[in-house]
Amino acid sequence: MDLFANLATGFAVALTPTNLGFCFLGALIGTLVGVLPGIAPITTIAILLPFTFSLPPASSLIMLAGIFYGAQYGGSTTAILVNVPGESSSIVTCLDGHQMAKQGRAGPALAIAAIASFVAGTIATVVIATASVPMSWLALKFNATEYFSLMVLGLTGAVVLAHGAPEKAVAMVLVGLLLGLVGIDVNTGAPRMTMDIADLGDGIGFVPIAIGLFGIAELAVTLGKPQDRSLLSFKLRNLWPSWAEIRQCIPAILRGTTIGSVLGVLPGGGAALSSFAAYGVEKKSARNPERFGRGAIEGVAAPEAANNAGAQTSFIPLLTLGIPGNAIMALMVGAMMIQGIQPGPQVMTTQPQLFWGVVASMWLGNLMLIVLNLPLIGLWVSLLRVPYRLMFPAIVLFCCIGTYSTGNTVFDVWVMLLFGMLGAFFYKVGAEPAPFMLGFVLGPLMEENFRRAMYLSRGDPIVFVERPISAVLLALALALLVILILPTIRAKREEVFRE
Amino acid sequence: MMRARVNMPDLAFAAFLVAIGALALALAGELTVGSAAAMGPGYVPRGLALIIIVYGLVLGSRAAFAGWQVFPDIAWRPLLLLSVAIALFAILLPTVGLALTSFTVVVCAGFAAYDVRLHENAFLGAALAAFAAVLFVSVLGLPIAIWPW
Repeated sequence: MDLFANLATGFAVALTPTNLGFCFLGALIGTLVGVLPGIAPITTIAILLPFTFSLPPASSLIMLAGIFYGAQYGGSTTAILVNVPGESSSIVTCLDGHQMAKQGRAGPALAIAAIASFVAGTIATVVIATASVPMSWLALKFNATEYFSLMVLGLTGAVVLAHGAPEKAVAMVLVGLLLGLVGIDVNTGAPRMTMDIADLGDGIGFVPIAIGLFGIAELAVTLGKPQDRSLLSFKLRNLWPSWAEIRQCIPAILRGTTIGSVLGVLPGGGAALSSFAAYGVEKKSARNPERFGRGAIEGVAAPEAANNAGAQTSFIPLLTLGIPGNAIMALMVGAMMIQGIQPGPQVMTTQPQLFWGVVASMWLGNLMLIVLNLPLIGLWVSLLRVPYRLMFPAIVLFCCIGTYSTGNTVFDVWVMLLFGMLGAFFYKVGAEPAPFMLGFVLGPLMEENFRRAMYLSRGDPIVFVERPISAVLLALALALLVILILPTIRAKREEVFRE
Repeated sequence: MMRARVNMPDLAFAAFLVAIGALALALAGELTVGSAAAMGPGYVPRGLALIIIVYGLVLGSRAAFAGWQVFPDIAWRPLLLLSVAIALFAILLPTVGLALTSFTVVVCAGFAAYDVRLHENAFLGAALAAFAAVLFVSVLGLPIAIWPW
């Protein structure tokens, strides 16, 4: 295998001063938004998306990827010191991490979180590098029928793994698919559901929807709740965990990395789910589970390893199949499209520098993060002391400017406002916006492949089960749905999400 | 007491589904549907809209007997002031330029917080307006006017 040749290509790209700079910038911004509760990485990526237009494709993706995994590092700092998750993926880190901090062991907790993230990031980079090549070979065998079935499986996965009520997630996917079809039909040139608005010709903008649903809605919800940010006073001495603690954590880190790597690849998976699952496994497999929730260091190490591994391996379906597995990957599709790159299996062969450069940058980014994070913890802590009332008006302004600059039209700002209000409504009725976003991105792709497959089969839907790969994919989707409906598993699933 | 068994959040969501499905159906009404082998531009949108309406009706009828649950309280102040701030951005930007727009948006958005402080908020607005003008126009080169003239 020419894995090493590929990685060498990648490092040659990632190590150029420009790309190193953007990797650093991405990791830094990621850590920043990770530390600050109330700003999600998805909002940040959406806001920065328009500004990557003028960058070379590799630099743009390297920076945006850095924001995503950087946020996994940053989120743990807030979880440990403030007992408020900086990101949804660090909710479980609060449980034991904050307990450790209360016992005066904030230093070791922060250090083990960073070490676990780094180890997981390194392993996940190797996983991406080895798994991508065979995946893209498989994908090249796909035609419209298989692609349609694959997307059905992806969306089913997103529904099953979504938090909250699955029947609402199904509805959100459907609405997303529908709104994704707004705009001029590529086959006939007919404007569809555009209400004769010229700005809707290319469809509803992807950036305004993402910023509205995630950014604006999040602000409205956060501001409606009382703010609680009691910082633990803590000193940076005895930062390092003891050798005994590190030895204790090694198996937990490896288990967390494995869980994260697998769950990250699954549609609908990613960082948050991985950390929940890893914590659950540690607690169940521990010799004395009652230590968990009272400052068990494995309870920090395993989920932190899992969320970082999951964040990285969720790039696999995007880079090899061209199918985003979660809402952040849906934004990455947008980032690639802006650069004129159609995500899919051909990216690896036609743009090896881009593909391997991004993969190599992930390891470099992780290295930077561990060097960056521990010495700078004092700085992050002082940022946490900035009150929210000073931060959120800036976020509102940047959301507006970011949205406006995607097409230099205020129409997009109105769309953002509309979806911001819709997002607040979805929050109130307990419907997750992430499945909507996936449906929205996949809508046009799915329709296109569905129409083509049906055209080739002369209108006979049996083709979806006649072709073996397609049949397997649909069977998997069906199996997922059956699992979801079974009452015992449903009860267990709710239990997992409650934890 | 029929009303006592309604799950309001679920019912509201179901109503949203039916409304958006009906809207899509109305908008896609004139599009050619075609056949399964040669789908017109209206085939998939109409199909989806119908599925969404039916799905919404099913969820809605289930919500009607799911057991009483009130619609959660809405924090109107942040919702309203954030909306006004964003609307102001959309209205002001083309006419008065980035600097004044930014100032107005920040000051207006600031009042969405319950603990807003007047002087601090005005100062923040001025600082962010300067920052935005320098960063987005001077450094990143966005084609936006800074001043109205």
